[in-house]
Amino acid sequence: MGRRWIGWSVALITVGVLGLALLPLPAGAQGKEVAFLDLSDFTGPVAGLALPSSIGVEDYLKDVNSKGGVQGVKINYIGVDTRYDVARALSAFKSYARDQKVVAMEIVSTPLGKMLQPLTRGEKFVCMVPGDGEFQAHIGNFFPWGPTYQDAFAATVDWILEDWKKKGKTGEPSVAVLSWDSPYGREMLRGGKEYAEKKGVKVLPSELFPPGSLKHDIYLTRLEKAGVNYVYVGGVDPTQTNVMRDATRLGLTKDIQFISDYWGPSSLGISLHPEALEGMVIVSYFLRGNEAQNHPLLKRLWATYRKEPPEKMNEGYGMGVGTAMTLAAAIGDAIKRVGPDKISRDEVYQSYQKMTGLSRDGILGPCAYSPTSRRGSDVVKFYKVTGGKISPITDWVKTPDAVSLHKW
Amino acid sequence: MWRPCGTFDENYRKDVAIIRTPLRWGLLVAALVGLFLVPYVCSYYVVSFLNTLSITVIVVLGLQMVTGFCGQVSFGQAAFMAVGAYASAVFCANFGLSFWVAVPLSGFFTGIYGLVGGAPSMRIKGFYLAVATIAIHFVTMWLVLHLEITGKSQGIIVEPPRIGSFVFDTDERMFYIIVPLMLLMTYGARNLARTRVGRAFVAVRDNDLAAQVMGINLYYYKLLAFFISCFYAGVAGALWAHLTRVCHPEQFSLLHALWYIGMLIVGGIGSIPGVFFGVIVIRVLDELVLLVSPFLSSWFPWLGSAPAAGLGLSAFGVVLAVFLIKEPRGLAHRWEIIKASMRLYPFAH
Repeated sequence: MGRRWIGWSVALITVGVLGLALLPLPAGAQGKEVAFLDLSDFTGPVAGLALPSSIGVEDYLKDVNSKGGVQGVKINYIGVDTRYDVARALSAFKSYARDQKVVAMEIVSTPLGKMLQPLTRGEKFVCMVPGDGEFQAHIGNFFPWGPTYQDAFAATVDWILEDWKKKGKTGEPSVAVLSWDSPYGREMLRGGKEYAEKKGVKVLPSELFPPGSLKHDIYLTRLEKAGVNYVYVGGVDPTQTNVMRDATRLGLTKDIQFISDYWGPSSLGISLHPEALEGMVIVSYFLRGNEAQNHPLLKRLWATYRKEPPEKMNEGYGMGVGTAMTLAAAIGDAIKRVGPDKISRDEVYQSYQKMTGLSRDGILGPCAYSPTSRRGSDVVKFYKVTGGKISPITDWVKTPDAVSLHKW
Repeated sequence: MWRPCGTFDENYRKDVAIIRTPLRWGLLVAALVGLFLVPYVCSYYVVSFLNTLSITVIVVLGLQMVTGFCGQVSFGQAAFMAVGAYASAVFCANFGLSFWVAVPLSGFFTGIYGLVGGAPSMRIKGFYLAVATIAIHFVTMWLVLHLEITGKSQGIIVEPPRIGSFVFDTDERMFYIIVPLMLLMTYGARNLARTRVGRAFVAVRDNDLAAQVMGINLYYYKLLAFFISCFYAGVAGALWAHLTRVCHPEQFSLLHALWYIGMLIVGGIGSIPGVFFGVIVIRVLDELVLLVSPFLSSWFPWLGSAPAAGLGLSAFGVVLAVFLIKEPRGLAHRWEIIKASMRLYPFAH
């Protein structure tokens, strides 16, 4: 049984794989086309955000292709699950790095971005990444999707000062970061801290914990003892949900205002834990809650390609659609300049730098990419969780430049 | 050791030789020439894949020493790899050492560090030791993330190796460092397995009490196994750092350590060829998912790209479960059966 079984298994797998590889490519991949490589974490610690975002990218590109592509050029989406694993990402990157059809890529996690940066240094190959300020500080081919982490934190500092005044409190408010013990978890303070201190907000020592932690009592208790007024919670949800669940149980949410960074809970997460998340403020550079779920374009794409009611839409989907809109616009600009046959990474790179002011139908703020800016946008919106719903409490607010305050 | 039918050892030299027949020498030379030509005839992707594969082989060879031969379960291999990577980066960036000195030194440094990892093996074994090595993983990664010398959360940029003005700054060039080193370390591991040390490791693994009664110093050999294992992990880590040119705390996760154990299970515990089988099967499977998933998502649009691409982890899980149930001794055992059948060829029995 054993030997025969192994033999048959090997033969079947070989035939299956060869069969798949020899079959012709699907119709969408024929004719004039370029490709977009998405090195994303469909599994792993940031999958909760990366997966809906990548689906958003794919659906928007499908929609563009179904209408004949961008001026006749189709954009082939290549999704790779990197699993928050840099070895895997490196292998996937190298498998496509020299395929000139791939004119741009996105890397959906901080460690992967930081690892691939040295390997693409000097190349004009657009890589869209999360909001690390160093990509703005050292202008190159890495383009954060939205404002940098430190800029969003700085906007939060401004919001804190207003909120402090509104509550009629005197003296200086204090804020602390409670986040993952990782490069990402520290990033918002590289420039964000300098901005807060400049504005008269006291920054208490951060509390950092390993990604995946389920209990945060010890960190929360320490922050309470330190007399913190505002806690800025980093991490990819369900981190924020877990933190808030602990904070609610410890009775801290009455005196301390918790604010989530832009990878905070989606409407779906909030509907599962409405009591725990009640009162949390979320700073976001893409639409959330009903604003996202009722947005005409998002609603249509979601219904067409996901075939589900809008209430099931994770707002990360909109973020992905916004990213894909920028990509399509940049490719369109490159085609206009050089024609469909001469489109290349270099041309797309040049076009990305001309996307200043590009509208993404209000899903994201206006694009801020330029020769001197790598910010995907420079505006954020503040939302608050009330009665299990997430509602806006401000309009789009311009983010201060905190990156330039840090010594890089 | 398998020999063709009718081939006999006539002296001790022949009996202990790794390569035994002229045909094998010929095949070895042909294989080496073939390997030398790989960067000229294969694509960039294949070369870079072989680099990653070779580095993984070195790490898993180390794990085979401590877990496969000596029976000490270790989940610390990814952390030890990180120690080697950072050590080499620091030796080069802070102390100005060349790559050629930094790599062996990093291996040695990691070996010494690994003695700390091996220390609990004096008192505990099996499942308890496995948990202790997980703890070592987290302590190591915490140190990497908080020490000034490791660049904390920002990591360290690593320079590529060079000889004079010749810089090994591409995968094709790094291939000529990584693959020969992998072959050298495989030879070292193969050789070690048949020495007194290797036999002592196996004795400790099979019955530590009996081994002690025979005069084997358990603690010495367990620590030695950890030292050798960590030396391998350290060298692999150093190569990885110089290949990717950046050392970052999130490059070495516990999940990697689990993958390495999985490779041992699939390949075969206690076998050097098993290391190659395990690494190749798992890595190739991973790459197949990468190649096949775009087809799956285009033929089954309802599946979508993301779930199709996410099949990798599931595939790993299924392969591991199947091997544990159907072939717990790994592919190396199957290979031994095939060789035994071929030994008598053309006779049936």
